[in-house]
Amino acid sequence: MNYLIKQFTREWGFLLRQKYVVVLLLCSLVLSGFAIYSGLSEVSAQQQTIERLKAADQSDRANVQQKQNDAGMLAYYSFHLTYSQPSNLAFAALGERDIFPWKHRINLLALEGQIYESDAQNAELAQAGKIDFVFVISALAPLVIILLFHDLFVSERTSGRHDLLVTTAKSYFALWGARITVRFVAVIVCLMLPFFVGAFIAGASAFEVGYVSLLCIAYLAFWAVLSVWLGKNATSAPRVASSLIGLWVLFAFIIPILGDLAINKAVHAPNGGDIVLTQREAVNDAWDLPKSTTMNAFIKEYPALAPYVDMSSEFEWKWYYAFQQMGDLKAAELSQAYRDAAAKKYELAGTVSWLSPPLLLQRSLTRVASTDSVAAYNYEQQIRDYHQQLREFYYPWLFYKGDPTKTALKNMPRFESTTQTSK
Amino acid sequence: MSINNLSKVVIVAKDEWRYWLRSKLAMTVLAIGLLLTLSSVVVTAITMHELSHARHELQSNAEQSFVDQPDRHPHRMVHYGHYAFRTPSPLSTLDPGIDAYTGNSIFLEGHRQNSAMFADQRQGTALTKLGSLTPAFIVQTLAPLLLILIGYSSISRERESQTLSYLLAQGTSGTTLIVGKGLALLSVVGLIIAPLAVSALFTVSTGESLLAVTSFVVGYALYLTVWVLLILLASSVFSKNSGSFTALAFVWILLCIVMPRVASTSASTAVPSTGKIETDFAVKAELRKLGDGHNTNDPAFKQFKQSLLEKYNVNSIDELPVNFRGLVASESEAKQTDVLNQFAEQRMQAELKQTQVSRYFGWLSPMVAIRSLSMIVVGTSIETHHRFLRETEQLRFDFVQGLNKVHIEKLNYQDDMNRNANAAATQKARVSADNWQILQAFNFNVDSANIRAQRSVPAFLQLLLWIAVLVGGIKFVGKRLS
Amino acid sequence: MTTHQPVNHTSNNVSTIAEQSNNQNNDNKSANYKAIIEVDSLSFSIKNNAILKNLNFTVGSGEIYALLGGNGAGKSTTLKTLLGFNKPTQGSVRVAGKEVIKSLDFVRGKTAYLPESATLYPHLTARENIKYFLSLADINKTDEQINAAFKRVALQEGAWERPMQTYSKGMRQKTAIALAILREAPIFLLDEPTSGLDPVAIDEFNQLVRELALSGATILMVTHDVYGACQVANRIGLLRAGELVGEFDAPENGRIDTEQVHAAFAQRGA
Repeated sequence: MNYLIKQFTREWGFLLRQKYVVVLLLCSLVLSGFAIYSGLSEVSAQQQTIERLKAADQSDRANVQQKQNDAGMLAYYSFHLTYSQPSNLAFAALGERDIFPWKHRINLLALEGQIYESDAQNAELAQAGKIDFVFVISALAPLVIILLFHDLFVSERTSGRHDLLVTTAKSYFALWGARITVRFVAVIVCLMLPFFVGAFIAGASAFEVGYVSLLCIAYLAFWAVLSVWLGKNATSAPRVASSLIGLWVLFAFIIPILGDLAINKAVHAPNGGDIVLTQREAVNDAWDLPKSTTMNAFIKEYPALAPYVDMSSEFEWKWYYAFQQMGDLKAAELSQAYRDAAAKKYELAGTVSWLSPPLLLQRSLTRVASTDSVAAYNYEQQIRDYHQQLREFYYPWLFYKGDPTKTALKNMPRFESTTQTSK
Repeated sequence: MSINNLSKVVIVAKDEWRYWLRSKLAMTVLAIGLLLTLSSVVVTAITMHELSHARHELQSNAEQSFVDQPDRHPHRMVHYGHYAFRTPSPLSTLDPGIDAYTGNSIFLEGHRQNSAMFADQRQGTALTKLGSLTPAFIVQTLAPLLLILIGYSSISRERESQTLSYLLAQGTSGTTLIVGKGLALLSVVGLIIAPLAVSALFTVSTGESLLAVTSFVVGYALYLTVWVLLILLASSVFSKNSGSFTALAFVWILLCIVMPRVASTSASTAVPSTGKIETDFAVKAELRKLGDGHNTNDPAFKQFKQSLLEKYNVNSIDELPVNFRGLVASESEAKQTDVLNQFAEQRMQAELKQTQVSRYFGWLSPMVAIRSLSMIVVGTSIETHHRFLRETEQLRFDFVQGLNKVHIEKLNYQDDMNRNANAAATQKARVSADNWQILQAFNFNVDSANIRAQRSVPAFLQLLLWIAVLVGGIKFVGKRLS
Repeated sequence: MTTHQPVNHTSNNVSTIAEQSNNQNNDNKSANYKAIIEVDSLSFSIKNNAILKNLNFTVGSGEIYALLGGNGAGKSTTLKTLLGFNKPTQGSVRVAGKEVIKSLDFVRGKTAYLPESATLYPHLTARENIKYFLSLADINKTDEQINAAFKRVALQEGAWERPMQTYSKGMRQKTAIALAILREAPIFLLDEPTSGLDPVAIDEFNQLVRELALSGATILMVTHDVYGACQVANRIGLLRAGELVGEFDAPENGRIDTEQVHAAFAQRGA
């Protein structure tokens, strides 16, 4: 034990004397810190936005409910906020939240016409990508590890110290084992320390932190082992580094790009515009169709409302909302195919990611943080479910109960953001 | 530089090429580089042509189905709405920029400004977060790395094998050596850029201006020159190959991988932007003051009503020679649009300010500079998207007001008021489908090449400053070398 | 004691070599010096390319053995085999009674190796370097002991706390020897120890090596410097194209005759 400690203290002291190693380690610490800091501030901004939206949404609806009494008008003018709360780990993996919307306001009109609207952020910034912890670990850390480990043996060899070191060392481990361990631990600490601080601030559970740490350390160990192994018998440091960086380019860029091309060729997705167009045509045609056509189709979905479909005027709200829903129904198949294609693509991308460790890590981490496209699809499903709840709330008032009472309005279904967890 | 020196420079450059031709690493790297550039040029060109074709078709379909609508109440057509599609610019075959990140279609209807829908990224595999097979990405990010792999040892190698002092002793000055090596590297730059330039020149036939094409090619040439200079500097400063390589790899990571993201993260932190949903609350509050254009009894239109009665010198709205409901719709649409535009403008300005902050990082990283330059010149930057939003808004306003004009002039007020009485009354409250011809064909074009070139001036200056500083540094080192 | 194969040598070798090659003489040797390094029928080849061919020699305690040869004669390969970096293709190499390749840690613990261009870490001072390497070997030495070693190798005191990148080649060599001394290993393997040193430094070095031998150390050096080898060695083995072509013994209290060795060295396959 004492002997081990001695090896590590010696190598630790040795590491601190190598300026470029220290600079690299500091850079990793600063970058990881910056990623965590910006991740935390992004997540807190998202939370604050949601809180502000919640308040504004409430008062806006209260305003509408004060002005309108008619169920149809209420449903037309009332918008309902839905949102996807960032998880406790979102600060480390901002994931796809800059591309997929995480907030939406919907009313009772056809959902297919509303759900694809996106309150997206600055596209030019989204295109550049953001620095988050996942990016630092999956893309940058391998480069830091390559720079730290590729010349571990080669630099000693080219400067003629290798044989002296090996013959002097009491054991192989005392030298290389301790050296590799100390460097690896140092780089892990520099990269992970900000994450632990961030996790503490964000209130992530110990299990989540443990799981993320395990994944990250395993991933970094993979790169360290690769670097050491390739560098062990080499004689030219730049050659080792070039092959390692080549592998990194292969894993981080080439395989994902080829995978993306192949998947997009293999999976045929309906054009998003067609969904909205189908829905629009259906809704607009309904104006000119006999009312009974719409209503007959409608009561197939809601047999309980069958006794109330007769109309006394050329325009009634119940008919209006009925054909809105029929519009959704008409587009349902396309819409499902669109979502299925996206899910299929995500699934295939999962297969591709087994060929690329950085992708695999990104996927795993955004999965635990619920910031991947699966989480975005789940949120979309939550919106759909909530829209259905709203329909079921309004229909009785629209069809037979007359103007909703204020108490009834108070008990209107509310959107519950279920914080998604993958476990 | 004298003829003698010039020929020496050429000899050095030729010598460097001979070294590369004999080095497996250099040849592999060159082959990979050319393969990547070529395939990216081809693949992106095909993708963008398909996109452009598809969107053109969608656009004309949308226009056709609008004019094909049967006789209707004109306000129904206001809500039937119209679609506009953003067709990509000719040069976007080389840099699709934000095309996949913003919605490329927008639904236009009365009283509302919708946001663009269906960003391609949302249907994506999320595999291309780090990079995609576009010429822009390949040349901006990977080409510098390839140049480093080829050139890191150009001068440090001579020093390490001790041929440097031999060369210097033979009368080759340090500057000549560096310039010669630089010339060799620049010829590699030429090789990388050639496919880009050819592909860019093709776009001239599809209507792109020569100015834009030239700015594009010159921009990339300047950018890769920055890297050649960085490589020469590092290779002359470090006495060992490994030192030069490590330093360059580190600089590459910093400038190409880290900085663009630091720029965007800093920009969104420094200039927080409120989302559309949030500003919509303010818009709604503002609009509420204007009144509901569907409801002629809304007190907000009391004054408007009075002025109309005075204008036509009648006592009641029934006596007006025109349709009062149409007038109210038209009046409120105009006022609403003012408010909507005002907020939309605010949002775009905020977005532009954010983008501007991220572009300032071009002084710190040539990669950020070329990224902005490329997207601006090609017409796939945020400005182009804003132009799309403004043009579609104009299109929306024009057709909605066109329909309102039909509503005012061609639909009798009484028929209009009775439209829901019975089926026959509903039939009567219609206008002929001929009126739908008011819709103008929409064809989105990017800003003129002059405007784009003007916008790219700061990015050009950023690259030129990098070059100036690096040339100064190399001159200093070159003297010390001798 | 193993029986050695007769050393291959050319017809006009000097008498000493003939004597050397018979067993009797070898037995005498082991009486004088306890054999610490034993190279027995050592052959080493890389991809059927024979580098060392059937090498036999021993070095005993208190003895300074110089393995002399030109470029590519196999000196460094022999040294690397003794250090355990090469596995013999045939035959064996034993140090302190143990087969090198089978007990690497034991053998390396008993050996102090002085590489040709003795570069320690340039960014560390001599003392820091010494401390680092001693710690690697798991040896504890006080600062006083280190100072004593520096004095013994005549490293000027002003340089002790300076980063080694400022050192001359001689100073670097001295530091490396100080390290070897401090390791208190009974066996020294020296690779071209005097190349690049000035004459004064060489004298100092030779003196030091003799002292070490007197105190019982086993010293094997490889060199291409005939004069240098004759100056300090008790015995010289002449290596040519992987074969030991001759051995020269120093007379009692005298030096090996430079002329004789030089003549043998210069004879190329005659």
